[in-house]
This record gives sequence, structure tokens and C-alpha cells, in this order.
Amino acid sequence: MNDPDIQLKKFQKELSAGTVSLALLAVLSKAEEPMYGYLIAKQLERVGEGVLSGKQSALYPVLRNLEGAALLDSFVEPSMSGPPRRYYRITEAGRNTLREWVSAWRATRDSVDSVLLGILE
Amino acid sequence: MNAQNLPTTIPEYLEQLRAALRGADPAMIQDALYDAEEYLRSELAEQAGKSEAEVIASVAGSYGAPEEVAEIYRDTEVTVNRALRAPPPPKRSSLLGKFFGVIVDPRTYGALFYMLLSLATGIVYFTVVTTGLSVSLSLLILIIGVPLLVLFLGLIRVLSLVEGRVVEVLLGERMPRRPLYTQRGKGWLERIKEMFTDGRTWTAMLYFLLMLPLGIAYFTVAVTGLTTALAFIAAPLAAWTGIANIRADVDGWMLIGETGNGIVTNVHAWELPFLFVGGILLLFVMLHVAKGIGKLHGLLAKHLLVRSPVV
Repeated sequence: MNDPDIQLKKFQKELSAGTVSLALLAVLSKAEEPMYGYLIAKQLERVGEGVLSGKQSALYPVLRNLEGAALLDSFVEPSMSGPPRRYYRITEAGRNTLREWVSAWRATRDSVDSVLLGILE
Repeated sequence: MNAQNLPTTIPEYLEQLRAALRGADPAMIQDALYDAEEYLRSELAEQAGKSEAEVIASVAGSYGAPEEVAEIYRDTEVTVNRALRAPPPPKRSSLLGKFFGVIVDPRTYGALFYMLLSLATGIVYFTVVTTGLSVSLSLLILIIGVPLLVLFLGLIRVLSLVEGRVVEVLLGERMPRRPLYTQRGKGWLERIKEMFTDGRTWTAMLYFLLMLPLGIAYFTVAVTGLTTALAFIAAPLAAWTGIANIRADVDGWMLIGETGNGIVTNVHAWELPFLFVGGILLLFVMLHVAKGIGKLHGLLAKHLLVRSPVV
């Protein structure tokens, strides 16, 4: 492994810290019904680029912590194929937080984009 | 690339994950194993027709190999907790700040509430365990006792998860958030056998029995300590504001109370300031005691309730 690779990994890790929470909240706010970890992971995998395409095991602790912060709530249901599944859905507090996060994200993205304008691709 | 060979079955995968997480918080290990098993089983069901080894090989790319997953859990747990938890109260360096700072620490009130609550939960747990145990054991002579005993042991597991949630919320000690899922491949007979051979089932039962005396003690300490401190503080305040009369002729000890002709305290006027300062000090000592008991009890609960995963 060479140096730029390590730098890229480190950068991706730092980037993903907040964006994963944002993406999870967004997926669950759009979902019509509660979803369990595997489904959420697969949904993100379909659209995932950049930091969202990281290892899917990273999603589970974030889900649990979002629940701990009362942004999600959850219930357990038995499943045919494995251990009982924990289904998550977004709470009202989660929706409000998501709204704030989305505007913070858009503002950040726009200003980063404008700073990056003209950099060699 | 990996020193370890990629596992070919789900139990092997979980075994490697557990090995990679060795030394980490047992509650976190339990969560990590549960999450991994959910993902792997779902993937296996999704890709029907493929062998377990093929599915695991493909999952190593998306979900991560056991060592990678272990690293992610160690990392994410730290960063996300830091980002989403309420900030810890500012560290006070002075001795005075440490002593009085306890009043703004949310954990103090969590512990205090737990002490009051533990009388009720202690009675419930104790009743459940003694009733369940005596009914199912005595019915063992008849065949009906066997399923009853198994149901009772299952109930103990559910209760220990519930108590774990209470302990984590109120006392701040990390506890498992998922039921521990024992291996799918094993038959139900073997899983039932595991309930009996797993030491945590029995230590959880011990914990629930202990909760009655502990609950009574916690409740008593919290109530007596708080009322004494508050009465110490209330008596001088009431006397100074004229709500209570100072009457040294009342028999016995009466810090503050109703005698039939108005609210009265029989503490001498010169003693009142000392009583006031003593009450404030006692109140803060009580808060420290509550916080300390909360910390100790959290450790006890973790020790007796969290199972070391049997994969």
C-alpha cells in the first residue's frame, strides 16, 4: 500500500463520519415502511458512490446510535431466514434533524464545489 | 492479503469476528455478532442456490471480512458515540468544583431515579424468579414442568435485556442492545441445552434475586438521605421567612413540623445557620453517594447480565 492510498482511506473515513448518518436518515425518511439493516445496506449499495460504497458493516453501529439519539425508533420481528430482524423507522425528531442536516449539507457542498471550481480533474 | 483464511460457513465467520474483537467491550461484541449474522443470513436467503462459502466470499467485499468489520466497529463506536451523545459535563479541576459539580451531572439524577425505581423493579424481578423457579421445579415431576422451565429461562433472558436497557439509559453503562442470537445450525434441543449450560442464565437469575434487597436498600438510602438533607435546609429557611415559629419547648427532636398551632421548629436560633450549611453539604454528599452507587450497580449488572457470546 502506498502513501496516497493511505491518505485517500483516511480522507474517506473522515468524510463518511457524518455523511453516513445523513444518508441513513434520508433513506428511512423516504421509505414507506420500516426497514431492517440488510435492506437499508442494499439500498445504499445500489446508489452508493464514494464514501457510501464503503463496507456495509459500518452502517449498523450508526443505525443503533441514531436510535440512541431518538432520531429513529425500532422494533424486532422474527424472520424466516435468520435472527429476529430489527426494523427501523424515522421519528418526528429525526425528520426535523434531517431537514437541518440537509440544508447544512447543501450549503457545505455548494461552498466546497465553488472552492474546487477550476481544479484539474 | 489476509493472514487468516476466509471462512466458509457463517458460524466460522462469526467465530473469526469474535476472535478479532477479543478484548473489546462485551456488549459491543454481542451487537457486532448480531448485526453480522443478520446480514449474512439475509444475504444467504437472497442468493438462494449459492453455497454458504460463495455467499461469504461475495460478502467479504460488501460487508467486510471479519477483521475489517472488527476494526470498523471499534472505530465507529468511538466516533459516533462522541458525535451523538450529550457532551460530558466540563471537567472541574478544583476540589470544590468536583464536589459541587455533581449537581449539574445528568448521571447523578439518572442514578437517583434508578435507586427509587429499583424498589419496584426489584420486587417484580424477585417475584418472577421465585415464582417461576418454584412452579416449574415442582412441576418437573409431571412432564409439564419441562416446557415451563424452558419458558421461564427464556423469560429470564428477556428480562435481562430489559434491565440492561434501563441500566444503560439511567446509569450510563454500555449494555447489549440486541438479544444474543445463538447459532442457527444447531437444533432446538441443543439450543435449549445451551440455556442450561450457559452460566449467564444463572448469574442473571442471581442478579434478579439480589435486586430485591438491593432495591430496598437503594430506595431507603435515597429517600432518607434526601428527606433529611431537605428538612435540614427547610427548617432554617422556614424560620427566617417567618413561616415557622422557633419553639424550644417542643418535646424531642422536631426539625420542622406541624404541632396543631402552626408550623414549628425546636432548633435554637443560633443553631439554624449550622443546620442550613449542614443540610446543603448533606444534599451534595447524597448526590455523590447516588452517583457512586449508580456506577457500582452498573458494573454489577454488566458482570451478571451480559453473556459472553456462544457462537
